Amino acid sequence: MAVKDTLHEKAVSDSAYTTERDYRTKDVDVARLKRAIEDSVQLRLDGVDHTARPTWKLRETVEFYRDILGLPLVHTISARGWGAPGHPDFLHFFFDAGKDATIAFFYYIGTDRPERYMPEDHHFYAATHTAWGVPTEEELHKWKTTLESRGLIVSPYTRHEILESIYFRDPNGYPIEITLRLRDIEVIDEVDAKLTLEAAMQAEDELRAGGDRLKDIDTVWRRKAKLVEELISER
Amino acid sequence: MVILYVLDVAEFLPIVESARRIPDCEITKSDKGYWKIVAPSEIVLNRRAMQMKPAVWYGLFTGGMNGEIAEFGRDEVRVVGTNKPL
Repeated sequence: MAVKDTLHEKAVSDSAYTTERDYRTKDVDVARLKRAIEDSVQLRLDGVDHTARPTWKLRETVEFYRDILGLPLVHTISARGWGAPGHPDFLHFFFDAGKDATIAFFYYIGTDRPERYMPEDHHFYAATHTAWGVPTEEELHKWKTTLESRGLIVSPYTRHEILESIYFRDPNGYPIEITLRLRDIEVIDEVDAKLTLEAAMQAEDELRAGGDRLKDIDTVWRRKAKLVEELISER
Repeated sequence: MVILYVLDVAEFLPIVESARRIPDCEITKSDKGYWKIVAPSEIVLNRRAMQMKPAVWYGLFTGGMNGEIAEFGRDEVRVVGTNKPL
């Protein structure tokens, strides 16, 4: 397929990084935003294109993803720093993670990793992670045993409600998860997901209004009991 | 009185099976995808008996719980009646 010159006039006439930076810096006030139900426009996505993060370990990152994990390196951008003042020259490279999704890195040439970007051994830090799916239990086992035989430290299998996962870290300290979906997601899962979060939001709103805060999951479970009772009592 | 609501999916069904062994426990299934377990005074569940992994065990009452957790250990949980508001 031929690459179009441009999809949008604005895309070539200016760099969005130098002007109108509100979209990068201004806090989003969700309460002021129009709901999808109000304009009836349904926006659709087609899976993950890429996720990206910085690296200060060029060779280790390339060798880890390409040569240890075996993800094909499929695209590299190399550029002079542009846009924001002081933006360093950089490399931006992409590894194929299946189903047209890639994992991407920025290598900012001549910079040092700031302290706040150092990896931490803490669940707050690990909450931001990449989870790749595998299609079968055999494949999950193959990932664990193969990576271990290649010298990597891999977590034990962890069975969540609908997922079974293994975890490890890349040379940057970024957490990676390989996961197997144990069953399909059903309509009742969606109903339940909505009720759980509705219970949590209700409880949190009420506690905050009283100058308190949500402190435990038991409070959510009790509110959920009320919501589920209402649901199953409906005629 | 203690009430548990359990989503009708494979990973939580061991709760329903365990509850069947609790004396005077009433178990009903709604057509909205939830089991309702009502016990007169307390519900005690054992993780190993239910063959549950910790990641599911610690989310045991995500379907809803009208009661108070008196003890929540790695292998056993005890829920008792409470006057706390839902």
